Amino acid sequence: MLNSEVRCENICKKSMNTRQQNRGLELITHPPPGSKLAAAKEFGIDLTLLLENLALTPTERLEKAFAAAAFHHELRQAGQRPRVK
Amino acid sequence: MISFQKALVALRNAGVEFVLIGGAAMVAHGSALATQDLDICYERSHENIRRLVSALAPFHPRLRGAPADIPFRFDSDTLERGLNFTLATDLGDLDLFGEVAGLGAYKVVRAASDIVQVYGTDCPILSLDALIRAKQAAGRPRDLAAIPELEALRELKRKLGNKQS
Repeated sequence: MLNSEVRCENICKKSMNTRQQNRGLELITHPPPGSKLAAAKEFGIDLTLLLENLALTPTERLEKAFAAAAFHHELRQAGQRPRVK
Repeated sequence: MISFQKALVALRNAGVEFVLIGGAAMVAHGSALATQDLDICYERSHENIRRLVSALAPFHPRLRGAPADIPFRFDSDTLERGLNFTLATDLGDLDLFGEVAGLGAYKVVRAASDIVQVYGTDCPILSLDALIRAKQAAGRPRDLAAIPELEALRELKRKLGNKQS
């Protein structure tokens, strides 16, 4: 099992039933040929993140996204500050 | 960085008619995008614009990316003379849209939205189908690049029978 699958499984357990967890993992690991999931995977989308997010509430998804954006913003600002030796 | 909860509470408390669109709407549906701003489509009646101004004025909206010497007053007259505004506020960046590409004005956008519980309140959020239509219509590379993820989300939700937005 890949690390991403373990991470996804742990989160999915919070709010998806076992059938949904298993079906979701199957779909993202082996997307049906010709499906939008297959196209997205081919495009470079990390499908494990989508399944993780679906296990969250909309509020939790927004909190997570804004926290990630804040972290990126902080990193960018840190990169612009002069280095002190 | 937008304080989404404060912005949402301010808009809801003032009774503003709006729909959450753009990156935050994508995220609310499950996108893995990291978004920094808030895009809303607002209803353009005189009364709603008055409510919008009263909701946001305490957070000192100013034009984002415009020279500081360009005069800008955030009031009803200004909003009624314009349509779309890209603003910086004390809460973060906030974009106001009178229309959405591929959809139209508020009435159509509202009809194409889902009511989703966010921070304990009902919030109209542009549906996945409508987000995809809007991205197709906008047609910029960054919009088109978002479509595969949105289509994958829609398919995943359908296949999982996901009732939660």
